[in-house]
Amino acid sequence: MNESRPAMKIALVSVLTAVTVVFTLLVRVPTPIKGYISLCDVVIVFSAYLFGPWTALLSGGLGTGIADIIGGYAQWAPLSFVIHALQGLLIALIAHRKTEEDGTADTASLGAMIIGGIIGMIVMAGGYYVAGGILYGFQAALVEIPLNLMQSGVGVVLGIAVAKSVSKAYPPVRNLYW
Amino acid sequence: MISSTYVAGKGLIYHFDARSKLLLTLVLCIEVFLPVSPTGIYLLSLISFLIALYATGMKQALSPLKTILPLIIMMVLFTPFTYTDAPAAITAGNVQLATTEALYHLNLLIARFIAITYMATLFVWTTTMSDIMLTFQWYGLPYSGALVITLAFRFIPFIADSFKMISDAHSLRRVSSDTKGRRRSRIFDILPTISSALVFALKSIPNLAATLEHRGYSTGHRRTRYRTLRTKGPLFTHFLICVIIATSFYLLFSL
Repeated sequence: MNESRPAMKIALVSVLTAVTVVFTLLVRVPTPIKGYISLCDVVIVFSAYLFGPWTALLSGGLGTGIADIIGGYAQWAPLSFVIHALQGLLIALIAHRKTEEDGTADTASLGAMIIGGIIGMIVMAGGYYVAGGILYGFQAALVEIPLNLMQSGVGVVLGIAVAKSVSKAYPPVRNLYW
Repeated sequence: MISSTYVAGKGLIYHFDARSKLLLTLVLCIEVFLPVSPTGIYLLSLISFLIALYATGMKQALSPLKTILPLIIMMVLFTPFTYTDAPAAITAGNVQLATTEALYHLNLLIARFIAITYMATLFVWTTTMSDIMLTFQWYGLPYSGALVITLAFRFIPFIADSFKMISDAHSLRRVSSDTKGRRRSRIFDILPTISSALVFALKSIPNLAATLEHRGYSTGHRRTRYRTLRTKGPLFTHFLICVIIATSFYLLFSL
């Protein structure tokens, strides 16, 4: 990204934060057990792959924190902020892309994307397990691990697919990595 | 899509300064993890509930309880398995269902979770989003951080509406009409819908950046500043009340 345009960074993080909120609260995929999973992880993974660690950290943390407040789970907001920010940061750092001299970034390898995604899944499920354990007991928090792994797993699969399709459909995204 | 959590109501809590209210909420949330009696924590939950009841009415006041009910059920089901080396408190025939220690910890966990839920909810119900933002600013949130959050709130309805329109447009092209096929198609259809919605949202970034630059945000220097929070009475008094409540709670109920 052109470093002389801080407004571009502000605009990028703001729009992706709003997208994370919308995908957390509105976009839900039905599961075979008659439940729903939110797609916030798709945006976090997508942001990490295409826009780098800082964008993923800020938009992932702020987006899920704001979504928790709006959705009526204000007590979870600080925890979601930390967990998803860390998730986005680590995925982006592992699936790190080289930035060319002209400011564009080449695509991360599929292997790096998958490893980054798996680390992100562990961070997300593990983070919520620890937070849940402190809040309502470690035995009860165990129940949420499979659901969180499923949600973040769907996030990784869809996130990789969406990152590839969006970078083809809208090539200027390659200039927004920082 | 509703992007504000403020609930218009009545009561002194609406006139209490947002900065001291946030501090009190945080301090009390920390205090419930200190060695304090479950009775004190239940009392805190009860007071928070009664304030919510008076301020917003019964239906609204009960809504946080409904959202945490599944978690409370999980606590009841799973906590007894953690504490099994104590005298039995509940048995069914020869089977020990829960020990006295398990019941004590279950009681503490439920009390703590309800208290945290109600205190956090009460704060966001009784404080407008702009006051929450100004409170974070007062506590040191950088100008650019506050700008990101306010811009995100401005974009949430726009992105939610555009996602719905894109989703509706994509759903017009469904072929299958049977329920099973429709559900499967919906899962597969989500990918192009998400991609379209993301491209649509990303295309607004250059325009937003240009707008910010036209407003003077070009080199990171700010030309505007956020307004200062106004409060009824001296701010010191609000903070003093907050300190008195937090200290009294700890002194009265610490073990």
